[in-house]
Amino acid sequence: MTTAISDVEIKGAIKKFGSNIVLNSIDLEVRQGELLTLLGPSGCGKSTTLNLIAGFLEADQGEVFIKGKKVTKVPPYKRDLGMVFQTYSLFPHMTVYDNLSFGLKLRKIAKPEQKKKIDRVLELVKLSGLEQRYPRELSGGQRQRVAIARALVVEPELLLLDEPLSNLDAKLRHELRLEIKRLQKEIGVTTIFVTHDQEEALSLSDRVVVMNAGKIEQISTPTSIYKHPKTEFVFQFIGKSNSFEGMVISTDQDRIMVQAGQEVTSVSWDNVIGENRTFQKGDEVKLYIRPENIHISESQEAVDGYELHRAKITQLNYLGTSWEIDVAFMGKSLQILTNEYRSSWKEGSEVFVGWKPQELKIIRKE
Amino acid sequence: MEAARAQNHQKRVAPEGQPPQQEKRAKKRKPWAPGLLLLTPILLFLFGFFVVPMLYILYLSFISTDSLSGEGASYSLSNYITLFTDSYYLNSLWITVKISLLSSLVALILGYPIALTMAKASAKMRALITLLIASPLLVSIVVRNFGWYLLLLPNGTVNTLLMDLGLISKPMNLLFSEVGVIIGLSNAYLPFMVLAIVTSLYNIDPSLEKASAILGASPLRNFLSITLPLSLPGIVSGCVLVFSLSMSAYVTPALMGGANVPVMPVVVYDQINNLLQWTFGSALSYVLLGTTLLSVFLFTRGFEKSKFKEVFR
Repeated sequence: MTTAISDVEIKGAIKKFGSNIVLNSIDLEVRQGELLTLLGPSGCGKSTTLNLIAGFLEADQGEVFIKGKKVTKVPPYKRDLGMVFQTYSLFPHMTVYDNLSFGLKLRKIAKPEQKKKIDRVLELVKLSGLEQRYPRELSGGQRQRVAIARALVVEPELLLLDEPLSNLDAKLRHELRLEIKRLQKEIGVTTIFVTHDQEEALSLSDRVVVMNAGKIEQISTPTSIYKHPKTEFVFQFIGKSNSFEGMVISTDQDRIMVQAGQEVTSVSWDNVIGENRTFQKGDEVKLYIRPENIHISESQEAVDGYELHRAKITQLNYLGTSWEIDVAFMGKSLQILTNEYRSSWKEGSEVFVGWKPQELKIIRKE
Repeated sequence: MEAARAQNHQKRVAPEGQPPQQEKRAKKRKPWAPGLLLLTPILLFLFGFFVVPMLYILYLSFISTDSLSGEGASYSLSNYITLFTDSYYLNSLWITVKISLLSSLVALILGYPIALTMAKASAKMRALITLLIASPLLVSIVVRNFGWYLLLLPNGTVNTLLMDLGLISKPMNLLFSEVGVIIGLSNAYLPFMVLAIVTSLYNIDPSLEKASAILGASPLRNFLSITLPLSLPGIVSGCVLVFSLSMSAYVTPALMGGANVPVMPVVVYDQINNLLQWTFGSALSYVLLGTTLLSVFLFTRGFEKSKFKEVFR
């Protein structure tokens, strides 16, 4: 990729707070018009990265470019960005209209033009008619819509969203998430979205940046982040997983044979996670399987050519669209996500579980 | 106080859904009964030693007598009539109001930058500034005023310095003048101003500053459009505190102004302790109280009805 089509570029950014390294040499490019998510646990450096782009923090080392212009030392108020915060951050002493006109006034836009822009953006976020309300008089969802409108009305170079949905309840969060996606596609503004919620990241983004401990673990599309995680961290952070410990007993061109407990199973080379891709007999490894990839049934009849093993149900949780079933298997607890529920199943019921070998992921134990 | 109210309002961020209006319904029970019991001692104390004497003074203010012995006493408004027709007393009231207003203004101008520094400082720095700001309160007001004497006398530090620098040719009347009283009062009550403003500055969500910056506001524009209006509750309560304290101050005006600055509390003291005019002194003190209450009411009301009314909710 060339710099010509990247809207934001961070090169070798290092940021320390005291002795704590928050960003450990970050390189990032954001493409024009895309919705990029920075995803990671708290303290991973995602907000720090956003603050570098916004200009609220300055990197100890490294450079930041916006639209090809070096902005490393440019203060936030000269960067021409739009930003939405977790706490809404509406000016409490101003009406919705005054909140929206704040940025336009600073850009010296004529009053009639201001009104036109505000009317248009309020229509976009479905808040027409609330111009004269004060933030106090709005619900949480409405406040965050106003905040989004306030960021968009100035037609910024970039839209930065700092966990904008974290203060909302589940239903509203979902609703507003769809709306942000729609707005972003409609306007086409390059958007950087920070979140710790993987569902949000996967459903919204064109690309996801998974961060951990001040480093970027993987940058990829949501599907490939989920299906082809590059590191153990990404695999564990995105979605749920069950793990087994095992030992390599042999390898060939196609597969790695692993002994886990009394079972011997084979794993394809495609399913190796991590940088270290060499395996030898005797290597200790970890096997991972997603809960939704485990088959559960009442009979031991083999399905699609894979074997089923005896297990005992320890817990049943109804999730609405599916069941979360914990079973005891080979002396450890296994979590299963399934629609194949039988009403006869209770805690203590004997069942059979199994999986396709190609669903197993393998990583070397360090 | 306004500051406290603003705090309640701002901390109450509705997480979602409906605006925060359902709280009223929850208040049907009457949990005040045990609270009232706990308050009984202080209520009795205040009633006996504050309400009753105040009412007695009010009663006295409507009695007119010709002699000190109290003979020929009768109920009348003559005390108040004398007060409002004699230019000496009206002038005294005007001087008191003027000095209190100016002291509030000086304390505000000196105090705001300190409060702003405090609000932005680290926890350690903040503790240090708080200590420095509060330290004048630890010194007896009499001692403090005599300290000012050394600085402000015609041959004191300030005048000598200004004359040596050639800025003035003869000493200014800093002491025993209105200027001296304003210096003394604004110095004495500065801590109240600073602490009131700093409370409301703390209550401003720091992300508002970020929000205004990202929208293109320079630090100065951010201060004028966001920080200053949102700190109005603190400014108003600080001014109300300093103004009311200045209106009723006795020691500082007496020492720093002397006979040249006859503010109301000094005049009341004179009437009652030196001239033994209890009834007239009572009327004077009630007019002083009324003026203070009315000024404070008009001042706060003015702000609460202004275009910044939302800040005070």
